[in-house]
Amino acid sequence: MRIFRIVLLAGVFSAAAAGAFASGGGGGGGGGSDMPSTSAPQYDPAAEYAKALNALNTKDYKAAARAAQHVTDAVPKSVDGWKLLATAQAGAENWKGSQRAYEKAVKLAPDDVALHAGLGLALANQKSPKAQDELTWLKTKASACSGDCDAAQLQALTTQVEQAVGGGATPETKPSAALERGSLLFATAAGGDRAYVQAVSLINEKRYDEALKSLDAARAAFGPHPDILTYQGYTWRKMGQLDRAEGYYRQALAIAPNHVGATEYYGELKVERGDLAGARRMLAKLDRVCAYGCAEAETLRRWIDLGGDPGQ
Amino acid sequence: MRSHWRRGAALAAALGAALAVGGLALAAGAEPPLRAMRWAPRDADPARAFATQPAECLKPPPTDPAAALSVEIGRAAFRAPVLLGGQAARAGLSCEACHRGGRTNPDFLFPGASGAPGTADVTLSLFSSHRGDGAFNPRPIPDLSGPRMALKVAPADLPAFIHGLITQEFDGPEPPPAVLAGLAAYVRALDPAACPAPGRTPLTVAFLMADARRALAAARGALDQGDRPTARLMIASARARLFLIDERFAALPAEQARLRTADAGLAALQAKVSSGAPDAAAALDRWLAESRPLEARLAARAPQSLFDPKRLAAASNRRLPARPS
Repeated sequence: MRIFRIVLLAGVFSAAAAGAFASGGGGGGGGGSDMPSTSAPQYDPAAEYAKALNALNTKDYKAAARAAQHVTDAVPKSVDGWKLLATAQAGAENWKGSQRAYEKAVKLAPDDVALHAGLGLALANQKSPKAQDELTWLKTKASACSGDCDAAQLQALTTQVEQAVGGGATPETKPSAALERGSLLFATAAGGDRAYVQAVSLINEKRYDEALKSLDAARAAFGPHPDILTYQGYTWRKMGQLDRAEGYYRQALAIAPNHVGATEYYGELKVERGDLAGARRMLAKLDRVCAYGCAEAETLRRWIDLGGDPGQ
Repeated sequence: MRSHWRRGAALAAALGAALAVGGLALAAGAEPPLRAMRWAPRDADPARAFATQPAECLKPPPTDPAAALSVEIGRAAFRAPVLLGGQAARAGLSCEACHRGGRTNPDFLFPGASGAPGTADVTLSLFSSHRGDGAFNPRPIPDLSGPRMALKVAPADLPAFIHGLITQEFDGPEPPPAVLAGLAAYVRALDPAACPAPGRTPLTVAFLMADARRALAAARGALDQGDRPTARLMIASARARLFLIDERFAALPAEQARLRTADAGLAALQAKVSSGAPDAAAALDRWLAESRPLEARLAARAPQSLFDPKRLAAASNRRLPARPS
């Protein structure tokens, strides 16, 4: 299944970048016509994410870090990419690198307890006093934990950081190992597929909070995949958070510029904002990329014609 | 280069649509050569399942031209993915995906929606925001050309049933009245007594082009009645038939480019129809006339394409995992 997803993305890229790669890239100062921006290696973030996960599973942390770095290069706003890079660097015992990656991730997801725990562990392994700040953050979070909060997970993470701050980390509990299992276990491809399908069903049932959780699980398995990002955007849009939705659509389109779903939904968002000219640009793009027509273009066309959701 | 780019875009669009339903239709392995293979068992015989289809059991056309047009409108709508909405349309499913040639489809296997091959759960939240029942209960896909008594819907109730199916089961848009009436007329015109002797029909360039032309003739009829939404959907159906030819010519870029040009003509025609351009009917007639030499050229190259069952089998087998010894 993962292979199919990668093939999908490759298809998207071939549509977007066929021109740039027609000469095979390279040129290395030989007077070729390629500019660095086109001859530099290009990475498919979902494929690199899968590569990093596989390397992590085989404990090849340096290879995992290289692949994860490609993910963050391609999608700098991917929390999952930074998290994966941080985990790989921790595995390679590059604590400074792990710290930097966790700091990036925390900036993007400030309330993620696992990220704070990872950052705390990276800091503790450098004997940095800032590790205490993360421990305090976790303890505060644990004391206020109720409702949806996973108290057991929070407690386990807090304990791990506490041990590391106190110098109690052992080979069995070293941070890299802790970050690869339990609550921080990266999902499998099959699990990711299940989560993704469940998310689509939950969206149709208008159970948006649960859908977002399922999409998070799918994202953990597949990384910054444009389909998942598109549905994250769609879900936030349905919850009325248009700016947040737009961020996801833009991420999806940054990875796959001709992604038909993201283009359609971004066009719908523009209709909701009253930006009909912008929506028409999205529709023109769909008409261009959809040889033989597509449902995405027809749906957006109806939105534009009616100036809103045709289903309402 | 241009055609290569467009092909990539089309593939991305089509595959993206499939993934929108969970990347379900392929368990593993490389991209299948034909879109319909995504909702078929991996070990389905490609020569039977994709180089032929069940013969259509359609009664002779009614003598009343309006009634005959209605059947043709329904026939074309039945083959248009954009009739349905939501995930089904995005995956490229049309009524005909489950009811090939107006029959059934024993090879329909949509992971997540099917149990055994030939079954489908039509009360899934995956497809419907209205009729999800929270249970996985796939049922055998009925043969619409089978004995009337075996169908659960009485002929008189067909319009309401089909309306619910489009708008509720598949989250599709409200169909134009002529399309809804046409679908009911088409299903009523399917009759076991009208089944031709050979049980299966070869899928050829001529067969698919004939379907496209019939859809466009229906578009012409709808235009004559001033029914632009129906005409637009008929053209969409013709375009969907061209796609089925295109994907079989994947290794023949020159022919594919000609098809893309022809499709661009139909897209322009849709725009004319939408805007009420007075020359839309003339443009449609022109396209129909120009389709003959295109068909002849494509038919001549068909033996080099995936219309050839042996080539199709070889292309399909490449994605199958090695069998255990």
